[in-house]
Amino acid sequence: MSVKSILAFLLLMIFQTAQAEGESTPDFIRSIGKIYVVAGVCLIILITLFIYMIRLDRKISRIEKRQKNE
Amino acid sequence: MMQESTTNSPFRLAAWKWAAMIILIFVFIAGWIVPLKPGIIKVTPDRAVAGEMMVVDVIGYNSFYLTDTTKLRGWLRLSGDTVIQAHHIQAWDDRNLSASFYIPSVFPVRQEAYPLTLVLDHGAEGTSILPNAIFITPASVQDTAEMKLWFRDKIEHVHEKAGVQYPFRNILAETIRNTYFHVPMWFCMIILFGVSAWYSLQYYRNADIDFDRKSVAFIKVGLVFGLLGMVTGMLWAKNTWNAYWSWDVKQNMSAISLLIYAALMVMRSSVEDDMQKARLTAGYNMFAFVLLIPLLFIIPRMTDSLHPGNGGNPALGGEDLDNTMRMVFYPAVVGFILLGLWISQLVYRTDKLKGNL
Repeated sequence: MSVKSILAFLLLMIFQTAQAEGESTPDFIRSIGKIYVVAGVCLIILITLFIYMIRLDRKISRIEKRQKNE
Repeated sequence: MMQESTTNSPFRLAAWKWAAMIILIFVFIAGWIVPLKPGIIKVTPDRAVAGEMMVVDVIGYNSFYLTDTTKLRGWLRLSGDTVIQAHHIQAWDDRNLSASFYIPSVFPVRQEAYPLTLVLDHGAEGTSILPNAIFITPASVQDTAEMKLWFRDKIEHVHEKAGVQYPFRNILAETIRNTYFHVPMWFCMIILFGVSAWYSLQYYRNADIDFDRKSVAFIKVGLVFGLLGMVTGMLWAKNTWNAYWSWDVKQNMSAISLLIYAALMVMRSSVEDDMQKARLTAGYNMFAFVLLIPLLFIIPRMTDSLHPGNGGNPALGGEDLDNTMRMVFYPAVVGFILLGLWISQLVYRTDKLKGNL
């Protein structure tokens, strides 16, 4: 899980630096009063929690399968 | 949840879980749609010489300068009541205006340069402030008769914009909304670790392996929330403090506290015997929770920190959180804590099923 969230964070970081280099105007993430920072924070939280729930779901499915086999 | 839904209606769920969902939906909506108060982004030129007339161009944020141009007033403030009022203000559009000032050639205090704060007031849109907007270098010829100009005008009858808005802060701007998402992560982490420490204590009282399972479930989810707090904080820091990691005392101490709990999980996986594992975890866990208090609440307050609520900075109750923000911030804390408890409960139930097979 932690590996995946770190990957998501790295992706965001690459996106940000790529944007910063791409144009001379203030970079994308800091435009419109830095609202994209809030978007990034919300996305990080939601994606991480969803990945965690998916992992939990899979774990429960494995237990159910094992229960059925017994 | 799965078991309940197979026998009952899928909507049968404990009330506090419904509360968690409804509160978080409110937080995400209110956190995003409530606008910011008007602010000032940029003033050009930001440098001038005293004793001259100057015209400054102002770029506003969320401002509506054209709504009633007669109600626009502007001041440059040196300190307290030491201000000069703008002679004339011309609004070009909602976000751009020009203001003319005469900067007196003498100053009440002697400095190498004088940072002036720009204050704008609009009858309907309220007040906006840009600290250190213009730096004035002293004039070569000083006319002491101009001293009284500084005390002629006063900033009076300023307006507050009506309606629900979040404050505008320079540097922060829209990221002030992160208060509802980044800060509750840490609150939630501390509560989850606290609950976990309490179950560890219960394990010491009566060595029931179920208490160990509970305390570990809360640590697992607490670590996820701590990691979220750290990562969201780093993204926020990159865009306000200009670095993902500034080796700030608050950042270092929170990293250490996460590492302590990560070490606990590593230690658990290295012990073979279940009873020994549970006993070691219980002891370590209570010790780790006690350590959180100096690491997160005492040491950062003892030194200077970039982070609000620590040494040299105003605390959370001060300027950083006004009453409008409290109406969203407190629900956000409660909502995320309930969500954390919910997820921990699911993890515990899963682990219990796994253990019973």
